[in-house]
Amino acid sequence: MPRLMTAAALGAVIALPVSAEEFTWAVTTDPQTMDPHAVNSAPVLGFLNNVYEGLVRRGKDMSVEPALATSWEPIGAGEGWRFFLREGVTFQDGSAFNADDVVFSYQRASDEVSDTRSWFAPVSEVVKVDDFTVDVMTSAPNPIFPSSIANWMIMDSDWAAANGAELPDKENGNYATLNANGTGAFQITDRQPGLSTTLEPFAGWWGDVEHNITSATLTPIQNPATALAALLSGDVDFINPVPIQDVARLQENSDVEVIQGIEARIIMLGFPHEAEGLKYSSETESNPFSDVRVRKAVAHAVNVPAILQTIMRGNAEPANQLVSAAMNGYTEGLGSYEFDIEKAKALLAEAGYADGFSFGLKCPNDRYLNDESVCQAITGMLAQVGITATLDAMPVQNYWPELRADNYDMYLLGWSPGTFDAEHPIRFLASTPNEEKKLGSWNFGGYSNARIDELLPQIQSTIDAGERQAMLDEVAQILLDEAAYVPMYVQPLVWGTRSNIALTQRPDNFFILRWVTVN
Amino acid sequence: MFSFIIRRVGQSVLVLLITGLVAFSMFRFVGDPIDNMLGQERTMEDIERLRAQLGLDQPFPVQYFRFLENAAQGNFGISYRQGRPVAEILLERAPATLELAAVSAILAVIFGIALGVYTAIRRDGVWANVIMAVSLIGVSLPTFLIGILLIYLFSVELGWLPSFGRGDTVAIGSWWTTGFLTETGLKAIILPAITLGLYQMTLIMRLVRSEMLEVLRQDYIRFARARGLKDRVINFRHALKNTMVPVVTVIGLQLGAIIAFAIITETVFQWPGVGLLFINAIQFVDIPVMAAYLMLISVMFVCINLIVDILYVFIDPRLRVDRAEGH
Repeated sequence: MPRLMTAAALGAVIALPVSAEEFTWAVTTDPQTMDPHAVNSAPVLGFLNNVYEGLVRRGKDMSVEPALATSWEPIGAGEGWRFFLREGVTFQDGSAFNADDVVFSYQRASDEVSDTRSWFAPVSEVVKVDDFTVDVMTSAPNPIFPSSIANWMIMDSDWAAANGAELPDKENGNYATLNANGTGAFQITDRQPGLSTTLEPFAGWWGDVEHNITSATLTPIQNPATALAALLSGDVDFINPVPIQDVARLQENSDVEVIQGIEARIIMLGFPHEAEGLKYSSETESNPFSDVRVRKAVAHAVNVPAILQTIMRGNAEPANQLVSAAMNGYTEGLGSYEFDIEKAKALLAEAGYADGFSFGLKCPNDRYLNDESVCQAITGMLAQVGITATLDAMPVQNYWPELRADNYDMYLLGWSPGTFDAEHPIRFLASTPNEEKKLGSWNFGGYSNARIDELLPQIQSTIDAGERQAMLDEVAQILLDEAAYVPMYVQPLVWGTRSNIALTQRPDNFFILRWVTVN
Repeated sequence: MFSFIIRRVGQSVLVLLITGLVAFSMFRFVGDPIDNMLGQERTMEDIERLRAQLGLDQPFPVQYFRFLENAAQGNFGISYRQGRPVAEILLERAPATLELAAVSAILAVIFGIALGVYTAIRRDGVWANVIMAVSLIGVSLPTFLIGILLIYLFSVELGWLPSFGRGDTVAIGSWWTTGFLTETGLKAIILPAITLGLYQMTLIMRLVRSEMLEVLRQDYIRFARARGLKDRVINFRHALKNTMVPVVTVIGLQLGAIIAFAIITETVFQWPGVGLLFINAIQFVDIPVMAAYLMLISVMFVCINLIVDILYVFIDPRLRVDRAEGH
């Protein structure tokens, strides 16, 4: 970095009071919009967390902490939540923050055209009590509401109105697609979509400044080898992700550091529970996977430790349920299906498939870390117990339509709970699909269990933590006993930085700029 | 002559229309854009609503016809991903690709001709043989590998040149941006230009060499030598000049290839041109961007071919006579 060196040299001569700490980071996907309500995706929300803020935010350990609200309390016996807002907060354009902005942001984020509206499904209305108190009324008691809105970002109502951005416009774009005006620690000073986005600290931010950055630039680099070269040559200070196969080599380099952790995402196998017969097999009349013994046999046949050791190079952790241990509502002490070929064979024989059968395994090849290799390994492992898969791996854009059209006999799925709560995967993956109630929208196989359907509304509305956990545990046990899905591992998180950078990695894979220091 | 040009233009338009039709029939194999546009918590209802709104529920000939209708009015639609007019995005990205292509082409032509002449004159020399051997690498190694090798050598190991991007740019006029006026911009273009131009350079070099060898065997060169002319005059004025006709044709055609195949180089170097835009568009099934890019590239190729065809008629009178008598 010649510019930095010049600054350092100048500093030595005339003793500049503050040195310019520039920070450049590379990501694979450029955030496609600067509108916090238009697209509910990790690249967008993760980036905008540096610019916009919600009523609450997540700390370094993912715990929920006050942001634009200083405190909150339940109303009555669970009619809703009252939020007390922080006073003296200003938006980056200088206008003051108050309850009107919260009500406006609720209306904007919950509108039909907003991608974030599902967060507000439990909300009946948002009422301004006074300038710094807001009541969020829910149709049923909702204990996890405050922790489910950490990504609900507050926008200034006057700014939106003045610029014709009262609603997000995903299809045609509007002022808020390219410009931002949050209350966060950083403001956008330059935005060139797909090229670079420059941020500078917001002088009027209400919080305590932990970072020492004077200017930060986000630059998308799609090609992993190029990103790695950029990190090694010092052109960028941070890349995410580091290709797993390069981790060992980077660890030997003293100029860079590899920061590893686990993500919130569980990688699992899914089955066609409702199908009449298999699609890619001679078994077109019957569906072996509707038999729980066959599903258990699959769980026993997949050697997860071997996958983690070889394909993930020891960077991931095995999983036995739909959420990782870092999530709220994780079930402790749940059993698991250990790798056991004999048991798998016995279960298959018991189910009447002693001679095995053939089927089609669908897999994405650009969605999860090393997804295609994992599927290849699974194909080999299942062949050992006599069930032979024809693997069909494809780009994710083709993958979801295939799953929606039921063109699979078994599939690979990764799930990261947006609310960081065990209720989330139950709602999307384990509930009987119901379009009207917006349940089971990712339950491609149509798995259905009356007890889970009965428990879900209670889990959603039970305030008592112990009682709620007991129900979550019951659901986890049912899902395990029925082998509804075969959870395999928690996807690893691998970041690379220059060794003069200190930062914090969070399991949601969000990069929080205000925790970065350049030494 | 005039009717020949009219006929060629008519054929070109037909080729364009067919290219577009094929492109549109391929788009559904690229995948479904809807999943990228909606988040994890979307419902089936959201999917259907957006699909209808974008007209993706229509059969592809209808989608294609709608695209043509709008394109004829200069409207290439709105990018699904960026939510901005496609024409605006393409204009923004075009200077990067055109500057890269221009520098690559100039490098390829200068070094290609110079090395071609050298290897032809010193056909048995050690260096000529070394250059010929090395040029095999240029033809046989894939572009992305050459790019990565250059990055590792000059950016990571030596630290001389930037590993990605275009450096700082300066705006000229309302939409052109240039990297030629800043130090970082000039440094940034070196590696991508070499990567992109290497194949063309070897091609031109080998062509010039074989043409030169052919010409140097001709009687008039022998007579020139007998007249006692200096080698330099023989080689450049008599020999090189006569090799240029096929070389110029190839260079013209390769120019189009440089722009079209900049995709790979741009991806490796994260060069912010239209090729990188196209790759991103495929990744996100951004149909309006893909359609506009493919049409733009086919227009370019069709135009180049058209011009070459017309030039042939001017250069070679026999073509003119044949055509005229044919009717």
